[in-house]
Amino acid sequence: MDSEEIPFMVKIEKYIPYLLLMPALLYMIFFIGYPLVQAVGLAFFENGQFTTANLDYLLYSPLSKFWDALKYTLLLAAVIIPIQVSVAFAIALLMNVPFKGHNLAVYSVILPLTISDVAAGLIWYVMLSPNGFFNKLLVSAGIISEPVRFFGAANRDMEFLAIVITEVWRATAIVFVILFAGLQMISREYYEAAEVFGATTWQRFRYIVFPMLLPSLQAALIIRTLFAFQIFGVVWTLAGRDIPVLAGEAYYEQTQLHHPGVASLYALIIALISVLIGYIYTKLFKARYLEA
Amino acid sequence: MGYEAISKTIAIIITIIVIVAIAGGAYWWYTSTQQQQQVTITWASTQLVPPQEQAFVKGELLPPFTQETGIKVEFVGLSYDELNTRLQSEMQSGKVTIDLIGELHGGIDYFASQGWIEDLSKFPALSGRTFPDVLEKYSHIHGIKAYVPWMTATYVMVVNKKAWDYLPPGLTKEDVMKGTDKWTYDALLAWAKNLYEKTGGPKLGFPAGPNGLFVRFLHGYLYPSFTGAQVKNFNSTDAVAMWQYLKELWKYVVPESTTYDAMADPLLRGDVWIAWDHTARIKDAIEQKPDQFDVVPVPRGPKGRGFILVVVGLAIPKGAPHEDAAWKLIDYLTRPETQVKVLEKVGFFPTVKEASAKVPAGPLQVLAKGVIAQESTSDALVALIPSLGAKGGDFKQIYLTAFEKIVLNNEDIKSTLDSLYPQLINLFQSQNLPLPPPDQPVG
Repeated sequence: MDSEEIPFMVKIEKYIPYLLLMPALLYMIFFIGYPLVQAVGLAFFENGQFTTANLDYLLYSPLSKFWDALKYTLLLAAVIIPIQVSVAFAIALLMNVPFKGHNLAVYSVILPLTISDVAAGLIWYVMLSPNGFFNKLLVSAGIISEPVRFFGAANRDMEFLAIVITEVWRATAIVFVILFAGLQMISREYYEAAEVFGATTWQRFRYIVFPMLLPSLQAALIIRTLFAFQIFGVVWTLAGRDIPVLAGEAYYEQTQLHHPGVASLYALIIALISVLIGYIYTKLFKARYLEA
Repeated sequence: MGYEAISKTIAIIITIIVIVAIAGGAYWWYTSTQQQQQVTITWASTQLVPPQEQAFVKGELLPPFTQETGIKVEFVGLSYDELNTRLQSEMQSGKVTIDLIGELHGGIDYFASQGWIEDLSKFPALSGRTFPDVLEKYSHIHGIKAYVPWMTATYVMVVNKKAWDYLPPGLTKEDVMKGTDKWTYDALLAWAKNLYEKTGGPKLGFPAGPNGLFVRFLHGYLYPSFTGAQVKNFNSTDAVAMWQYLKELWKYVVPESTTYDAMADPLLRGDVWIAWDHTARIKDAIEQKPDQFDVVPVPRGPKGRGFILVVVGLAIPKGAPHEDAAWKLIDYLTRPETQVKVLEKVGFFPTVKEASAKVPAGPLQVLAKGVIAQESTSDALVALIPSLGAKGGDFKQIYLTAFEKIVLNNEDIKSTLDSLYPQLINLFQSQNLPLPPPDQPVG
């Protein structure tokens, strides 16, 4: 009996890794692979025939806002991400030092994270509108006589600024959380050792904090950048289509213009950019561990 | 002794149970046979489909009708495409199950053109209700009386009462409220300019955000008023003059307009004093502060007072199993008191003149007065939204693109319009659809 069972176990043993991978694989096929194939199908096929009609529309039609959307999405990412990372980094360093009311401070920093992007957009829209809190404050303080106009196609630069302010307010916290967690994980022993050898603050930052924080920084940057390419709710509520962005255009093409093919194309472009950026970051930030 | 008493009680209880069971069974048998005799009609509608509105239809609108006539109604909410497919297959198979259709003018127009709709002139007249001439005229299509107007909606202007103090010379409040000849687009420009200069900022607003309905103002209001048509004169000299006018007007328009999806909030915040929008989207402002706003007709242009009328009609398909019962439902739905109920609950306006007298005082009356004043202006030039189906998005986008290029980006008017015109015409030609009124009058 026993001698029969053992060879069987040995026989199936080599399949066990595949069996264990099955759930993940099935998930990938049904929830990632299939929709992706569908999106390609919607974008490039019509009645079973290959077509570039959607691509032509996207690139050349006067009704399409693709180039503006691409420009503004890149521009927003380029402006917002450095601000968020540096602000979050600064706050994380500050919070790393224990002080009275430390916990309260940490909670209040991450509070905006609990608010949805559309709600955040609405809050800032109301605050910055001509009769809003911000303008009323400045007018009654005598700093300005006319309200500052943040919104409308005629004020695109100010709209851009409003989006940057709202995004920094809303989403810096996620970067902070990741960096703060990374900082907390650095063992005190390293600092103590550095102190023993008489390292300056800068040296401690340069040779301990920064290298050990690289993996967290990488994670934060990847998440933030990918989110930046999906930016939508905030832009939509603050600037409508005055400042077109890729995700917004995908939504608009789908819901208002009934162009599912073009909307899929936008989705594919966002996916492509995301994959590319993920690849670049992983190459760029190869974590160097101190205990290598 | 005690034993006997208990058994007596039990006997009484058993007797009661038996009596109740027999009575209940008899009642159940009676009602179930009654129900078998009861007529159930199917009402397919593309309107009042959202859950809240369906709840109103099933819970409040229809029960009194069933009580009165004994006719049960099954309300089926469908999209236009679903209704179209179902009707087509029922017509082809010859097995019609739909008794009554509730759809927009454009949809019924198409069904009638296919010969699927019964001529309603064979039914007895609906006494005690008058339909405005405009609605009566549009319900006669393809040589038949295709539908009975059921509900309407439109887009009007809202004026914050503060703005009356800044009327330009030569224009009175009376002119605006009633929509006289003096209430023109030039007068609106003068008014907006006056407001801008005297209050220190623009006060005229439009819902030109991505989900706003500003595009309806372009193709259904400005175009007909300035060129006499929605589509065919898209790049005419009249159209060029119209765009020049809009560029001039836009100097006095609140710049945030390109982010507004609905005008209720900007009106309530006081950012905007004069607004144009769909009645349903300004209802909030008027309900919250009925004393602060007036609802007025839109101005007129050189070719008339162009405005969009959304008309929902009730039609009976050919071969419907319960025609007469369906007509009874039409009779019920067009009664003034039923129409007022619909206005109160879902915000669609009555199609019979008698209903206006029954609207209770308050915000709804403010709205209804404006809507009726607009419909009754002598120079009314009604525009209907074309039924382009999935291509409706492209139709809107062409007008919006023209607006963005000409007004927001200051590009050349004539060449912009010339480049977009072929795309616009192609939308109708490729689907073999007639141009919407007023380009092609119905009849």
